[in-house]
Amino acid sequence: MYRYVIKRVLFLIPTILGVIFIILLTMSFTPGDPARALLGASAPQADVETLNHELGYDLPFTKKYVNYVTNMVVHQDFGTSYFTKQSVFDEIWPRYLITIKLAFLGVFLASVMGIPLGIYAAVRQYSLWDTIPSLMAFLLAAVPAFVLGMVFLFYFSLKLNWLPSYGIDSWTSYLMPAFAISIPPAAMNLRFTKSSMLESIRQDYVRTARAKGAPERVVIWKHALKNALLPVITNIGLSLGSLIAGAVVAEKLFSIPGIGSLIVDRIGYKDEPVIIAGTILIAICFTVVMLIVDLIYAWIDPRIRAKYARTKG
Amino acid sequence: MKTKSLGLGLTMAALLAAGSMSARAQDKPVKFRTVASISSLDWEQSTNTRDMKVWHQMFEGLYGMDEAKNGYYNELGKKFDLSKDGLVYTITLQPGVKFQNGEPLKASDVVFSYKRAMKNPRFNYLTSPIADVAAVNDGTVKITLKKPYAPIAHTFFSVKIMSEKEVTNQGAKFGTLPHKAGTGAYYVTSYNIASGAKLEGFKDYWRGAPALHNIEYIVIPDDTSALIAYQNHELDYLEDAPLSAWKDLAKTAGDNAKLIKGNNIMFMAVNYLSPRKELANLKVREAIFYAVNKHDINLAVCDGYGAEATQYMPSEYVATSPVKGFQTYAYNPAQAKKLLAEAGYPKGVDVGTILTYGSSTSNNAKMAQVLQANLAAVGINAGVKVMEASFVTPKLYAQDYDICIFADSMNYDFNNIRQQVHSESKGMYVVKYQGGPFNWQEMEKLVDLGASTANTAKRLETYTKLWSMVMDTATILPCLHRPVGIVWSKNISIGQPVPTYYKIRTFAKR
Repeated sequence: MYRYVIKRVLFLIPTILGVIFIILLTMSFTPGDPARALLGASAPQADVETLNHELGYDLPFTKKYVNYVTNMVVHQDFGTSYFTKQSVFDEIWPRYLITIKLAFLGVFLASVMGIPLGIYAAVRQYSLWDTIPSLMAFLLAAVPAFVLGMVFLFYFSLKLNWLPSYGIDSWTSYLMPAFAISIPPAAMNLRFTKSSMLESIRQDYVRTARAKGAPERVVIWKHALKNALLPVITNIGLSLGSLIAGAVVAEKLFSIPGIGSLIVDRIGYKDEPVIIAGTILIAICFTVVMLIVDLIYAWIDPRIRAKYARTKG
Repeated sequence: MKTKSLGLGLTMAALLAAGSMSARAQDKPVKFRTVASISSLDWEQSTNTRDMKVWHQMFEGLYGMDEAKNGYYNELGKKFDLSKDGLVYTITLQPGVKFQNGEPLKASDVVFSYKRAMKNPRFNYLTSPIADVAAVNDGTVKITLKKPYAPIAHTFFSVKIMSEKEVTNQGAKFGTLPHKAGTGAYYVTSYNIASGAKLEGFKDYWRGAPALHNIEYIVIPDDTSALIAYQNHELDYLEDAPLSAWKDLAKTAGDNAKLIKGNNIMFMAVNYLSPRKELANLKVREAIFYAVNKHDINLAVCDGYGAEATQYMPSEYVATSPVKGFQTYAYNPAQAKKLLAEAGYPKGVDVGTILTYGSSTSNNAKMAQVLQANLAAVGINAGVKVMEASFVTPKLYAQDYDICIFADSMNYDFNNIRQQVHSESKGMYVVKYQGGPFNWQEMEKLVDLGASTANTAKRLETYTKLWSMVMDTATILPCLHRPVGIVWSKNISIGQPVPTYYKIRTFAKR
């Protein structure tokens, strides 16, 4: 198992190198340059070229790539923003933490709302407890986070004046954005849990547990749910990744200084150091989350543990 | 006795509570919205208007700018003497001015600030006419120009004066940390590039401490969110309020809402050098211009609140901008059809693509769609392409388009047209007049002539001739001035609203 974890952690290295490569390559294909974006349309071309040279923007692609990786690995330096002249890490890190908090809160809420309802819908199939949540999930899965966000802003900020409409000054500031981003994945969680539970409760081992006289609560929570959770956990892991990368919508709507909105803003300025560093942090987070998902898999499912044990042997 | 004491105690407690509430109200910051991060606290780091609005509260120039009164006024420069040859400005500084760090303003700070700006390529367009800046004594500065240049007023306004000591002390960190390097009525006490800045009133400000003591700029990118924040009393001043909601907003805000003409303009241009040879035909270009219904554009872009444009710059903000005496191509579809027929296209013509930048829902894109429909109505067919600005702008500057839509804003001197029509303006024009079938040499002479005199009437006359020549080429058509919707809270009064450079020091509490 340890070998597996180490292997997955080592896998981060080519992932990050690949991310840097793809971003730099993509940026090199896009038109425009940072100096023109910084100096404005009226700056003379000679000044634009000089500044591009100072920023290292005119270097050949391979040199730029090697320089970036060297600075990152050897000096732990993500560079300086072309746009603000501030250290990229100093600029990104606080925003990254905000986005991570928001995404984790979103995933937590999505799980707390979606999974129990999914279980209940499966256990009470064809009853109102199944029909109503399933119908709601069907509808809510199709509603984008920004629409929910607008509705929340309208009611909870404007009409009821309960919650602040912008910023991230206190825990109350997280409520609306977290719920806005969590409802679509909650609906997905409900659907996944329900279908997985339905499959699980029809399995032989569940029937055996019932035949042995196990109480229904134990049958559902211990025998059926544990097996039904595997696809749900995968979905949670994937939704966390998409919430980190996709939190930009909520960040823009609720004026939250997160990493998604920062990257989107800086694309317009071709602020490569910020874009690359931001994307690397998102990639690392996503990879770590997927590693955790795999470990939970192994923890839940003894067959996977056994497989790793055999591989080791 | 006990009752009396109790009464006295209660009264004291009530007074203390009232005093504390009043102090809290006094300290409550007045909140302004900014649509994106304030990129720096160093005014030299950007030419972005949203940043400049913040910096204008912190820094001052030799000239100030009052858009409501159509022009510049003396700010840190008290007296400006121009030599007879029009080359040397001897400027007496305003006495008793202090920087926010307590240091007195000296001529050496002016020299430092100008020399720093002159090294920055971003401000080349402002500082290139300056040959030298020197201190005569602590209260006098001499600015020498390379040639007589009336638009230097904009440089005097744009270059902000900073404390040499404060800037030098902060070194490379200047701009990233709060500082007291300006002479303005406010200085920044807290700065977070992600979420905004907090400013405090400068007690020793040379005009007197401002009435509003605490100011906060908050980054709110989304228009609707900003609107909700204003309606929820979380914002005190909201500029560029969404026009789609203006009717309701104005009703709610009552006297605290004002829609004013913006210092901006949306143009269309026709590239006579396009591979579409039809566009080289003057009559086709004129037909295109006559087919444009600016009223439709106004409805689509600004819900009808904008102003149909004929000028290169709005004369409300640019004293030297021609108002009449040139062709305007008022909407006339019959004339458009007639011209097309005369040009040899009685059954219509295909003119390629209308190119513009922004998102698919941007103002430019909306205008492109209206334009496409207007042209189609007279038999002129064009496609529409809306792309990223960074991709489109180089194409426009390289005359790699058929018809384009672009926008300009924040001009305060008609001389700005130089970048559009003068051959020295490399890579900054949408239409290349130089070498074309127009009298471009005369246009250039008029640009130089307009800049050489400070006499406004004479400049207006020169620029009217120039603008008339440009309009006769049927290459650039001003279409729309977008309005600026401003709403503010009942807690403050803002005086005469202006489209861009509001001064919080002139605001008052209610």
